[in-house]
Amino acid sequence: MSVTEAEAVASCRRELIRATLREETATWLFVFKSLLAFYITGWLAMRLALPQPSTAMLTTIIVANRQSGMVLAKSFYRAIGTVVGALAGFLIVALFPQQRVLFLTAMSLWIGVCAGGATLYRNFKAYSFVLAGYTAAIVALPVIDHPLGVFDSAVARLSEVLLGLGVSGVVHDLVFPRRIRDDMRRLARAQFANFIDFVQRAMAGKVARPDIENAHLRFVRDAVTLEDLRSSVIFEDPEARARSGHMMLLNQRFMAASTSMQSLHHLINRLKRKGHDVPAQALIELYAPISEALDAPIEAGAAARVLLPRLQSVRKTMDLHRPALRAGLRSDSDLLDFDTGVTLLEQFVGELYDYVDTASALQAPRLAGPAERVHFERGNDHIGSSLAFVRTTLAMGALSVYWLASAWPYGSSAMLIATVFAGLFASAPNPTLAVRETFFGYLLGMAVSFVCVFFVLTEMDGYPLLIAGSAPFLMLGLVLMAAPATTRVGVGYCMGFAYILGVKNQMDFDVMHFLNDMIAQLIGVASAGIAFIFVPPAIGSMWFIRRQLDRLRRQVGLAATAPLAGLRSRFESVNHDLFGQIVGQTERGSQASRTLLAWALSVHEMGRTLIQLRSEMANRELPGEVHGAITRAIDALARLYEQPGTISYEHALHALGAATAMTGREASLRSLMDHLHLLRLALVDDQSVLAEYMRSETLANGATHAA
Amino acid sequence: MPREIAIGGVLIPGLLVWFILSLALLLLFDWVVGRFGLYRFVWHPALFRLAFFVCIFGGVALLLY
Repeated sequence: MSVTEAEAVASCRRELIRATLREETATWLFVFKSLLAFYITGWLAMRLALPQPSTAMLTTIIVANRQSGMVLAKSFYRAIGTVVGALAGFLIVALFPQQRVLFLTAMSLWIGVCAGGATLYRNFKAYSFVLAGYTAAIVALPVIDHPLGVFDSAVARLSEVLLGLGVSGVVHDLVFPRRIRDDMRRLARAQFANFIDFVQRAMAGKVARPDIENAHLRFVRDAVTLEDLRSSVIFEDPEARARSGHMMLLNQRFMAASTSMQSLHHLINRLKRKGHDVPAQALIELYAPISEALDAPIEAGAAARVLLPRLQSVRKTMDLHRPALRAGLRSDSDLLDFDTGVTLLEQFVGELYDYVDTASALQAPRLAGPAERVHFERGNDHIGSSLAFVRTTLAMGALSVYWLASAWPYGSSAMLIATVFAGLFASAPNPTLAVRETFFGYLLGMAVSFVCVFFVLTEMDGYPLLIAGSAPFLMLGLVLMAAPATTRVGVGYCMGFAYILGVKNQMDFDVMHFLNDMIAQLIGVASAGIAFIFVPPAIGSMWFIRRQLDRLRRQVGLAATAPLAGLRSRFESVNHDLFGQIVGQTERGSQASRTLLAWALSVHEMGRTLIQLRSEMANRELPGEVHGAITRAIDALARLYEQPGTISYEHALHALGAATAMTGREASLRSLMDHLHLLRLALVDDQSVLAEYMRSETLANGATHAA
Repeated sequence: MPREIAIGGVLIPGLLVWFILSLALLLLFDWVVGRFGLYRFVWHPALFRLAFFVCIFGGVALLLY
């Protein structure tokens, strides 16, 4: 081995050690911050003589996260949920203080409503609903025997939780904060650089088709991640809050540019597959300058601004080249293919320019002005959320009945825990697994807590010694929490440990009570898991995926029939939200995820073209029969997506063919023709999701007809 | 300012009102500073914000309570 090689190995090893240390530092900082928040809260809660300091301490564990912004966002929504829940619990006790059946019914209904509401929201907003549900239970259940205590119970719960939130917020925000802003900036820059690089390579013809599709899926996931981060970063940093509007706009433009790029590539591929090499080649030549223009070193910091004049000049070059390339084409069908491609290409360059423009505005130290308001609309599934309502209500009802029938003294404890976990995992993609992992962690945490309480803490006196006695045990759980693979086990461990430890001003060491409570809580966690098995969660089930698919397909109907004013942004935002749901609620790389995303892409492409076609139609006077034919074609397409099948597919194909033939007769309707041709190409693409509805003879006919 | 305020027969500490008012002031301040990007002249924005809040709340409570 030569000297230089040995040096290279040594430096490589040093780099490795440094990377490991950096990772470890982050983990231990998280552990340290969480411990700090935990014990400061405990000390304050004891000083303020709150009845249950352990609740406040537990709160700090629940909101603990490596990133400050996440802690603040979760705290914010947790605070809202707690206030609403405490009020609701107070109201329920006030309404039915002496009627246990009505009381438990009202409680189950309230928790069910909250669980249903939670499925309508993304991010931590859903968490707010879950919390409003179980806080009511936490406030009301312990005072079921002495209803007059409900006010004190509500105030105590509120002050404990708010104290815990306040302390964690301050600790995680002040002590070595790890900002989402930095991660987000890195992600956004990486996304920008990746995308530009990708466009550059794709435009130079260096990327294969499956790679392009995979890349598009990755871009969609990135966009959704960025959107998630954006919704949390606004709590962390006022500057990021001021930029939030631009960020949203950037994301939307990114999706638009990425989809256009996808459509363009589909077009070229379809042309090539059908043997239309001449127009395909002409288009490729036409867009070659884009690749050259984007071939600039884009590194973090090197502003996107550099690209703007280059893109401008690309537009000019493309305008110059177009007539020459167009003149080289012989047949009418080639011209049609070429014109369609040019329309798409111009749209893509325009969107790319807008995207780069927004990116450069974001990179500037000062914002030029307020962002264009992006109207945002969500695509919610109300049936799915009512199912969540019914499921949670039934689960709570069943537990209540069991409690009433068995008169179990620790029933309220079990029910409380069941409520908490049923709510927390209701929107997870695989709740049974999540509950199983958490159950394991919970069991472990309680067992360790037993050792800690009865063997260590009995020897200890005073707060510093309490810390010394319990911190090592807690640390274990926090380390588990910090590793992504064992997060749920870690959360279960910490919750179980802190819950059963039950630090109070006057510690009581009662083995019987400890064990009874432990069993009750474990049964609570387990029954939440059982509820998920018996009444399977809607999210992630085949039924739900089918519904999401329906909902997605109906988007084409929306694009085809809804009033045009504001339709573009409505379509885009609902689509974006559906994308987000698909990404969040299906497991990465699963069959369901791939099918849904493939449909989503097809719907997006079709819907956008339909909207453009319709706005084009609205802008000009059309002869009655052409208008009628196009409208029929649009309706047929909407029907195809609502009820996909061989018959509706053929119907759509014929209607579209008739409309194309009729429009093609008049030279003035060229731009309409482009959109119609694009629809047609998308429809006869035998590699899209629609392929399964094509009959083989239709395929052959389509090919010969087009040729 | 009274020490306690009765809302529907429930006594609320008067300080809470000033606390919420200070919080609103902080948010307003935050919005203005964030809009013009002035936080980049501060070493530790979060600490600065907390300190600023303590100042407002302390000042308001001492003056008015």
